[in-house]
Amino acid sequence: MHVMPLRKVLGGTQSLSRWVAALLALLLGMAALAGTVVTTGAPAQASTISRAVKGKTFRIATDTTFAPFEFRDTTGELVGIDMDLIQQIAKTEGFKVEIQSLGFNAALQALTSKQADAVIAGMTITEDRKQVYDFTDPYFDSGVQMAIAKDNEEIKGYKDLKGAIVAVKTGSEGEAFAKRNASKYGYTVKAVDQSSTMYEMVKSGNAQAVIDDYPVLAYGITQGNGLKTVTAKVRGGSYGVAVNKGQNQDFVAAFNEGLAKMKTDGTYNKLLKKYLGGQGTTGKGAAAHKLSFFGLVRQSFPALMLGLKNTLLITAMAFVIALLIGIILGLWRVSPNRILSWVARIYVAIFRGTPVLVWAFFFYLGVPQLIGHKISIWLAGALTLSLNSGAYLVEIVRGAIQSVDTGQMEGARSLGLTRRMALRRVILPQAVRIATPSIINQLVIMLKDSSLLLAIGFGELLYQAQQIYAANFRVTETLFMVGVIYFVAITLLTWLANILDKRMNR
Amino acid sequence: MNQTLNRTKSELEDSAMDTSRLTQRIRQTQQSDEQGQTGVAIMIKDLHKRYGDTEVLKGIDMEVKSGEVISIIGPSGAGKSTLLRCINALERPSSGSVTVYGMDLSDPKTNIDKVREHVGMVFQHFNLFPNMSVAENIMLAPRMLHKTPKEDAYQQALDLLEIVGLKEKADVRPTDLSGGQQQRVAIARALAMNPAVMLFDEATSALDPEMVGDVLEVIRSLAEGGMTMILVTHEMGFAREVSSRVIFTDAGVIEEEGTPEQIFGTPQSPRLRSFLSKVL
Repeated sequence: MHVMPLRKVLGGTQSLSRWVAALLALLLGMAALAGTVVTTGAPAQASTISRAVKGKTFRIATDTTFAPFEFRDTTGELVGIDMDLIQQIAKTEGFKVEIQSLGFNAALQALTSKQADAVIAGMTITEDRKQVYDFTDPYFDSGVQMAIAKDNEEIKGYKDLKGAIVAVKTGSEGEAFAKRNASKYGYTVKAVDQSSTMYEMVKSGNAQAVIDDYPVLAYGITQGNGLKTVTAKVRGGSYGVAVNKGQNQDFVAAFNEGLAKMKTDGTYNKLLKKYLGGQGTTGKGAAAHKLSFFGLVRQSFPALMLGLKNTLLITAMAFVIALLIGIILGLWRVSPNRILSWVARIYVAIFRGTPVLVWAFFFYLGVPQLIGHKISIWLAGALTLSLNSGAYLVEIVRGAIQSVDTGQMEGARSLGLTRRMALRRVILPQAVRIATPSIINQLVIMLKDSSLLLAIGFGELLYQAQQIYAANFRVTETLFMVGVIYFVAITLLTWLANILDKRMNR
Repeated sequence: MNQTLNRTKSELEDSAMDTSRLTQRIRQTQQSDEQGQTGVAIMIKDLHKRYGDTEVLKGIDMEVKSGEVISIIGPSGAGKSTLLRCINALERPSSGSVTVYGMDLSDPKTNIDKVREHVGMVFQHFNLFPNMSVAENIMLAPRMLHKTPKEDAYQQALDLLEIVGLKEKADVRPTDLSGGQQQRVAIARALAMNPAVMLFDEATSALDPEMVGDVLEVIRSLAEGGMTMILVTHEMGFAREVSSRVIFTDAGVIEEEGTPEQIFGTPQSPRLRSFLSKVL
């Protein structure tokens, strides 16, 4: 007759771990769901296409997104001038390539550490770089160009820019050019991080003109980004393929031969035209057909679901670590041991007092230089999110423990229970119940904060969105979709978490 | 009811479960008690307790013999509760010593947790654990500290609940009980460790008047069962009835002590007389 209640006896902290496990299962379940959508949607990973019949395989490292040289098309395939060029040359010359899409800096690192044989990434040939690398013949002459809104009839040249704001990309050739000439033409330079942001600024009237890399700009116009060019391009550097000094000379020779053949038989010009359109294009008639909003949704859905999956996975990983930190250091924080208490206190002060982004850059870019070993983006991302949220969770746990009536501890201790037993069986189960709503809240904050990881190139939801509108320039609609996805995911998560809370904490 | 209590007490004496030095001392004390000699259960010497600049206890000397029922009375702020809490080390003395069955609580080598197992305490606000059922509250300490099997601990909890008249409430949550019921569960919980001494800290002060009777009834039966007890109480009638000795504290010192007849019948000090005139 009393067997059933006995089963339930002394649930203690088991309920906590059960609760966390359930919450995790929830996050991972959602991630898996998002993942299924991806796989049923379209293959997200670029596949190494090797059509060559004989010869060696070269590992070619490249950037992740530098349209129109390399970027992912709507099916997730890595395409662009660089990609088409290397594939065509490989075909004519009879070698195979294995493309590694790593990001520009990582690609160069891979080359240096011989993880890759060559880098093709819209890389300007400079004297400095020639000290370290050997380059193929230049395959593209770059430069910068100015663009204005398609319907702007007032600006016909640089002299019309007086009093205007000119958008440029931070650290680009365009920025250098714009600053050099700012006082001459009397305009103000405003530097931002992304091409798509600059274009939106011009379209929204926050800036009157943009000066950017000519191929990037030309590609944008073919995609119907709503701009046009009115001035000629300013000749700049040339792009080449880099190999380590003195190595892979057979590859360099083959590339040069293949490039020469393409220039002769006209395939080279055809390739450029495919991505850049005709010279001096106004964008009229380009972007052959503009997708409807629902077409856009269908097209970008696989990439966005991949982003959602990554967002949920990294949040789940970081949440586990953060919860461990929160509980352990939360207990330290209320510990009578002064040293433990101060360790927890200092940890909280540091991570609550510094922005998430600083840590993201620190773990991903700073720490590898300190320890001389690369850190995976997942680890860096999870550390960033968990250490930040952990600090808040320490305070949540501390607050919850301290809000349990002191009589509870006294009651337990008066029976002869040790402090540890009392915490585990009496205080923590009550604290968990008190803390649960705040913990759920912290989980939601963490999920949203994970979007900051796009700054280090982590492929989460907002990052994927940026990749999409960097290629198709449908900024507003893409961001709207992202907002809806976040909202649905978070609403679902909180709803389920609250049901779990009620079930498990009665 | 008394039979059950006596059984609990004899179980303590027969128990081969804990052969610690403390248990042996308690057994010796109780045996000497039964042989007509009186063993000392608690010895307090020159006990001082300060909170910052405020001195709450200003040199308390007192001795409690095994089997005694002692009531501590006095006005609010006299340090009654602090004195009681020093006996199971919930408060650490600023100076002086508290010895429980020969174990000096201020000695760093003394295992305070082990001493507390033998000193049951009942609080003004019950301090039951809301995350457990009534039975689980009672079973917790025996399960954790004596590794009593679940079924045995549950049976013991039922027996104890029967003593306090709440057997049918074993599987409800404490929050579903009235104050008086909760306090009786708290008493049962304290008894689960077979304590040698019971401390009651204003056990009926937080109760509605109609609930007080039931709780006092349980305490009375414990006293009649021979349990060594110290009560801090405002129930003067009850103190007079059950106590073997009454201690009147005021402003951190023991102002007067004696039999209930002496304290309530022929109070000597003016402060005690004025106190009694206010509360009686």
